[in-house]
Amino acid sequence: MSLSTKTVNGFYFMPPSLSAWIGQTIPDHEFDGEIPWTPLKKPVSETVFSLMTSAGINMIADPDFDMQREKEEPTWGDPSYRRISRSATEADIHVNHLHVNTDYIKQDMNVTLPLQRFKELEADGVVGALAPTSYSYYGYQTDPTVLLEETMPRVVADMQKEGVEAVFLTPA
Amino acid sequence: MGLVARFLEENGLSTILLTMTPEFNREIGIPRIAAIEYPYGRVVGEVNDAAGQRRVLLEALSILGAAQKPGEVVHLSYTWHEDPKTTKWHPPEPSPIIKMYLAEIKRAGSEARK
Repeated sequence: MSLSTKTVNGFYFMPPSLSAWIGQTIPDHEFDGEIPWTPLKKPVSETVFSLMTSAGINMIADPDFDMQREKEEPTWGDPSYRRISRSATEADIHVNHLHVNTDYIKQDMNVTLPLQRFKELEADGVVGALAPTSYSYYGYQTDPTVLLEETMPRVVADMQKEGVEAVFLTPA
Repeated sequence: MGLVARFLEENGLSTILLTMTPEFNREIGIPRIAAIEYPYGRVVGEVNDAAGQRRVLLEALSILGAAQKPGEVVHLSYTWHEDPKTTKWHPPEPSPIIKMYLAEIKRAGSEARK
């Protein structure tokens, strides 16, 4: 465990104007509502994991996330999801995201969807298992209603079928 | 992604969110956060740095294993190897929403500088 006293600044890499604009929506006090909680049922070394990223990744055989509609309708973001096989490599995927540079993910998908690293952690016994399927959706959602009410229930059902117990989440 | 973490936890799945923007915890209330000051698009680490990526994952997994209650944020100590000004995380052209709100964004920037 890190003993650092560092406090991560989420706006460190962002131009000051953009930080100021986005920062307007973030309260300056701690969240004081209820936070849902599922305790880990067993040690990490016995737990079945799936990964999920908001980076807009799909297997080449599946449809790309819809960037065209967002270009025409800037407040809309594709609310669907894609299944990513644990055997996927950079040669098997497309990455579509209008808010970040996707070149790095195309060179090494582990920078945001660390499938290879997790397979190594599985082989080393650090995690119980990596499930056959991981997931991507598209993180730009100004209205998350469809994502939360239609897409994520299907993701959860898929995860349950594969015995997933914990999810490692990585935003783009 | 915090809302997704909340949804998964409501449905019986434990989560760990490795994020570069822990500030959203104040807005949403996120079950478990490992915060890291890495650029957008490379939250796990640099391209082809398998050892560095593994270190970050191990630390995030240890936070998942140790967390006792919701809403805790653990800040990782790692420092990105490039200066923010030379870190090319941006898309090749501004996103549609940024283009749409450009005047407002510039105004927010000049207000903040006052």
